[in-house]
Amino acid sequence: MRLPKFDYKQPGSIQEACAILLDQPSAKVLAGGTDLLVNMKHRVETPTTLVSLKGLPDLSYVRQTNGALKIGALTPLKTVYNDPYVAEKLPALAISASSVGSYHHQTMGTIGGNLCQQTRCKYFNQSKWWRSARPLCFKAGGEPCHVAKKEHVCYSTYCGDVAPALLVMNAEVVLSGREGSRQIPLEDIFSGEGKKPLKLEPGEIMTEIVISEQAAKGFSTYKKSANRASIDFPIVGAALWISSSTGESRIAFTAVDRKPVRALQLEEFLRGKQLNKELMQGVDSLVAKEAHLMMSSIDSLSYKRKLMGLLVKGALSEAPGGI
Amino acid sequence: MKQGIALKVNGDTYEVFIAPNQTLLEVLRDKLGFMGTKRGCDLGACGACTVLLDGEAYLSCLMLAVEAVGKEIVTIEGLSEGGALHPLQKSFVEMGGLQCGFCTPGMVITAKAILDEEPNPTEQSIKKKMAGNLCRCTGYKKVIEAVMSASATVGGKQ
Repeated sequence: MRLPKFDYKQPGSIQEACAILLDQPSAKVLAGGTDLLVNMKHRVETPTTLVSLKGLPDLSYVRQTNGALKIGALTPLKTVYNDPYVAEKLPALAISASSVGSYHHQTMGTIGGNLCQQTRCKYFNQSKWWRSARPLCFKAGGEPCHVAKKEHVCYSTYCGDVAPALLVMNAEVVLSGREGSRQIPLEDIFSGEGKKPLKLEPGEIMTEIVISEQAAKGFSTYKKSANRASIDFPIVGAALWISSSTGESRIAFTAVDRKPVRALQLEEFLRGKQLNKELMQGVDSLVAKEAHLMMSSIDSLSYKRKLMGLLVKGALSEAPGGI
Repeated sequence: MKQGIALKVNGDTYEVFIAPNQTLLEVLRDKLGFMGTKRGCDLGACGACTVLLDGEAYLSCLMLAVEAVGKEIVTIEGLSEGGALHPLQKSFVEMGGLQCGFCTPGMVITAKAILDEEPNPTEQSIKKKMAGNLCRCTGYKKVIEAVMSASATVGGKQ
């Protein structure tokens, strides 16, 4: 399958890259390419220009600065989960990064690219020929949403594995633009809109992920259910961070909404409580409160809801004091 | 716009004139004639197009050829030395780790990357890392056995 035609730019600095993006609104950033190039082959994304980050020096690193862990956005997922600090202190991040796609995708794919990946839908992630049987969907440039049976909305689902793990660690991201950079909570980059899932300003590029020292002081894990465990996108993924000293817990899901979501009501319910059988029964009723499940994949909503409960209970059972 | 680039494949440098939208797979097969690298799904799902890029397993169908400039590319043709098969290739033959052979170049190259990174992998580790290499014939058992056998004899190193 041939790639559509595009101009290829390999800028030597962030400022230069941002300038190209500002200049050409239909340009896209190319990192590992394992998400974007597939979409381009399917002709659902057809940027006129690709701005490759491969020429930028020093965007691939995992290092500790003043207790915080800083990860360059261009760091391959394999490098992230092989880092000794990540593997030992931030297991949710290590598990989630090592569950992305296949070994090849983990070698090629970057952590920044994984966070910024496109949302997915059974009507969108298809070849041009497959999609030709229906009018173009809203996300692909048409009007209707075949999932919602409405116009000018998009219910494609965010399916990244790493985002929920970073959300429960209260990670922040550094966005660099031509005028300088800003650091914001990771959850603020997600718009919750299927058509344009990221809220980056024009010309902005994610350059760094920052995880505070506090994240290493709790237990964390990531649970994923997928058709083929070792290579597929999640049907549902759930990350848990729990601190036995403060009684605080944080839970986030992927593949259940247009963005990765925190389960705030469930977190409040679990706050300071001893993990026991009765408590576990309360999980199921609260687990899907914050998610807006839609039929954007082939899996039924009730199945996804059940999985959400099972994954959270599985994660809680591994936590210190869990049952 | 087409441009001239130099690619280093199996130790030799080749100059090719290509467009930016050509993948490394297209250039290897259609321009340079390295037909050992197979085009399977062409979407990064099957692993048949795996090549080594600076020793790492890369899917050449999801890699722009222009981005491979300055990297050491190794295809299946580059594994054997002086007509003698690489120990991994020998092991695949001896253990019957192939039938039609279409997925085999990708399998062997991925196995090479795994053994270079982890000379004595567990069976579980091989299974996880080779999950992205699909085979429709053998059922994987003999493939895993072939990689295990190669790692036991030489640790994957030449």
